[in-house]
Amino acid sequence: MYDVIVIGTGICGAAAARELSRYDLKVLVLEKGSDLCSGASRGNSAMVHGGFDADPGTEKAKYNVAGNRMFDQLCGELNVPFERSGTLILATTEAEVPELYRLKEKSIENGVETILMDTEALKKRWPDMKADAPGGLFCPSGGMVCPYGLVFALCENAAENGVEFRRSALVTKVERAGEAWDVVLASGERLRTKIVMNCAGTHADEFNNMVSDRKFTIIPRFGGHIIMDRKYIPWVDTTITQTPTPLPTGGHTKGMGIMPSVDGTVILGCEATDHTDKDDVSLPRESIDQIVNYFKGFWKYLPISAASEEFPMDGIISAYGGLRPHPDTDDFVIGEAPGAPGFINAAGIESPGLTAGPAIGKHIAELAAEMLDAAPDASFDPVRHVKKPFRVMTDEERAAAIAENPDYAKIVCRCELVTEAEIRDAIRRPVGARSVGGVKMRTRAGMGRCQGGFCQNRVVEILAEELGIAPTEVLLSGEGSNILTGECCEVHFKEAEA
Amino acid sequence: MRKVDLLVIGGGSAGMAAAISAYEAGVRDILVVERSGALGGVLNQCIHNGFGLHRYNEELTGPEYAKRNIDRMKELGIPYLLNTFVIGLTGDRVATVVNPDEGQYRIKAGAVILAMGCRERARGALLIPGSRPAGILTAGTAQRYLNLQGYVPGKEFVILGSGDIGLIMARQLVLEGVKVKEVVEIMPYSSGLTRNISQCLHDYGIPLSLSSTVTEIRGKARVTSVVVAKVDEARRPIPGTEREIPCDTLLISAGLIPENELTEQAGIVMSKGTKGAEVSECLETSAEGVFSCGNVLHVHDLVDHVSEEGDAAGYHAAMYLAGKSGGSSKKDRIRVLPGNGAGTVVPQYITRGGDPEEEIRLMFRPRAVYRNAKVLLRCGDRTAAAKKMMVLTPGEMCTVTVRRKDLGDAETVTAEVEA
Repeated sequence: MYDVIVIGTGICGAAAARELSRYDLKVLVLEKGSDLCSGASRGNSAMVHGGFDADPGTEKAKYNVAGNRMFDQLCGELNVPFERSGTLILATTEAEVPELYRLKEKSIENGVETILMDTEALKKRWPDMKADAPGGLFCPSGGMVCPYGLVFALCENAAENGVEFRRSALVTKVERAGEAWDVVLASGERLRTKIVMNCAGTHADEFNNMVSDRKFTIIPRFGGHIIMDRKYIPWVDTTITQTPTPLPTGGHTKGMGIMPSVDGTVILGCEATDHTDKDDVSLPRESIDQIVNYFKGFWKYLPISAASEEFPMDGIISAYGGLRPHPDTDDFVIGEAPGAPGFINAAGIESPGLTAGPAIGKHIAELAAEMLDAAPDASFDPVRHVKKPFRVMTDEERAAAIAENPDYAKIVCRCELVTEAEIRDAIRRPVGARSVGGVKMRTRAGMGRCQGGFCQNRVVEILAEELGIAPTEVLLSGEGSNILTGECCEVHFKEAEA
Repeated sequence: MRKVDLLVIGGGSAGMAAAISAYEAGVRDILVVERSGALGGVLNQCIHNGFGLHRYNEELTGPEYAKRNIDRMKELGIPYLLNTFVIGLTGDRVATVVNPDEGQYRIKAGAVILAMGCRERARGALLIPGSRPAGILTAGTAQRYLNLQGYVPGKEFVILGSGDIGLIMARQLVLEGVKVKEVVEIMPYSSGLTRNISQCLHDYGIPLSLSSTVTEIRGKARVTSVVVAKVDEARRPIPGTEREIPCDTLLISAGLIPENELTEQAGIVMSKGTKGAEVSECLETSAEGVFSCGNVLHVHDLVDHVSEEGDAAGYHAAMYLAGKSGGSSKKDRIRVLPGNGAGTVVPQYITRGGDPEEEIRLMFRPRAVYRNAKVLLRCGDRTAAAKKMMVLTPGEMCTVTVRRKDLGDAETVTAEVEA
């Protein structure tokens, strides 16, 4: 019997798993996707919110502010890039200025530092802004992190500290079994545990509603993003967003923004549209058009307009969609579910969920540890031991890395400068990559301007070697996503045999 | 820091031609740096024939064409490094290279020839809506799987874009025993060579849909279908014209982009039109002693022309090293501009002075299809050169030459199409 089973490896599940690994507990984490972080935490704006925007007194405000304060230490321990690059809310019309004052007041209540800026102050700080904006609100504690990079790191560290992980493990049912719980997989397998942690993203309502008296519904809220070439990053030193927009089905969105990713690319997005399918992240044309059209107008207010006068369509390298789990309660659902002792929710974790996740994970892990009267594990190592990417190494670090392992001198992905050593390491690490997509998310091989056109062939070969499988068995992501369908002339041989 | 007289970045057809030509013009201290495990570049995966008709008067396969250059390189004893990446370049010709045998180090070069080739435009840059399953790849990636690794990447193909690699792949996939359902082209004409349309599509009964594009990709794990729609003159899909084509693979052959990351890193002035460096007729960029040739300068149709441009770059780099020419970026020069019906012209500048009898070759892509047209080089009201063409199409590079003395003392020369 497990002490804790965590359902889902988004930011909350991953953070909870790592926090649980501080204790002497038997913990299993289940992920329905073929790889970790296959839901809401994968496709979002990558922002670490300051916390000035959430309504004071809500769970959102509490965990946003607490989560934000954890990032420096957490990312330091896990060796994950994190930048406090700040967030600027820009009012482009006089009519939006009162909104800045409203946000300023909220930030004071939430205990978050913000600075109101007038046109002059804005121009002084960002001389490249072409059009005059009437005002802005700058939050220095806002930041950027790679969301899936953080999740992978949390899971790796949890695994190194003894947590068990299973991928492609779809949970279909959670049932009461005396004092304990049975977690039933799609395969029919039943796993018994004292505590269940429901971190199931857009599906968290389904598990809660199986066991708790307090029901809620999660609406999958879609948002699309566009990624721009890294050559624009010198003009994007901070996140700039429009003033928040209220949404018809409740809540609001940060609105469209331009974000400097920690990997050196530029992210644009996102809009918010309610969907019905909880897993479909297909990007509709309307979403792309909405982002492009918005930025065509917003462009002149942004410092990036100094790099390209008009919105540069040829600067786009990719686009992606993502779903946020919006709860009809309009606030995070956190803690033990009423009428279901030992069933702990971290549900409805929409924006600012990425920021709040580490604090939520910590809280629910502590809750479980208390319920189980768990003792701390003396061997817990909070540090994830990993070399930094070749791309950002100094000359000396590169020389040392190559001397130790010549595979560091074999560049596989030229756009993002990823070496063969890093790709092999990404496969060999705890809960490592098992697919081309897994390698891409962990190393950035294939994420640059050529989108894998050059490196995919080699990545397939390396995966086949490392996993001991044929190249035709190598997957892009999940089951059935084989990249190659056969060997050359196989068809002719088959015809000849027949 | 290591030193070399001439550093050639890229060991494909342009780089090899440049190195050989520089050697023949007297340069001895040359180093060719190639990132893959063999010289030859993309030619190694182009196992079809049709290469060398102009240069060798023969019809060779890609590897055969490459071998002629490789043999000549070896015969002359020109040094080259394989599996070696150039990861940095400065405007004053210091390159940072890395390879497994020597680690990472810097090379200071007397002259540099940029010959990095081009890459394919990918799905991301095309912003095709829909899901992201397996079964979406560029034609060149598919060609590498097929010809160098021995694997087939799908069973039923739709090809987006009628670029030459896509057309060549359409034929090869049919020969491989898999199905090619259709080639879809957003423009009202094909961007490939006429001979490839005929030999790769018509001969195999593969339909080509012009003024059409893929508006959605469907499928979860693997592509299950694509939606194709007609487009209007602004290349926007026309609602109501959508049709779904079941397939398991979408092959993308929608254009090539010169691979100029190093050029931009070196702060060299780039052309918006070609996405390559701006050069003089000596193929010298805005950085003194740095030359550019082949597909990294502008995308060519034929390897024969790539080699020719490599020859020229090698020769001019040799002259620069001998102190006989170059530094063109600083001297008095004529600006070459595209006029009516012409895309960006290469070179962008012509040096004033120099041999008045020299024949200078200008190249550009026509903006549309023209019949019975005239290509003119105009200096103000005066016509400096003219050439009649039966057909002009954006898929085929147009070349026109002019004697330096015929340019006179013009400030600018404009290439235009009179239809």
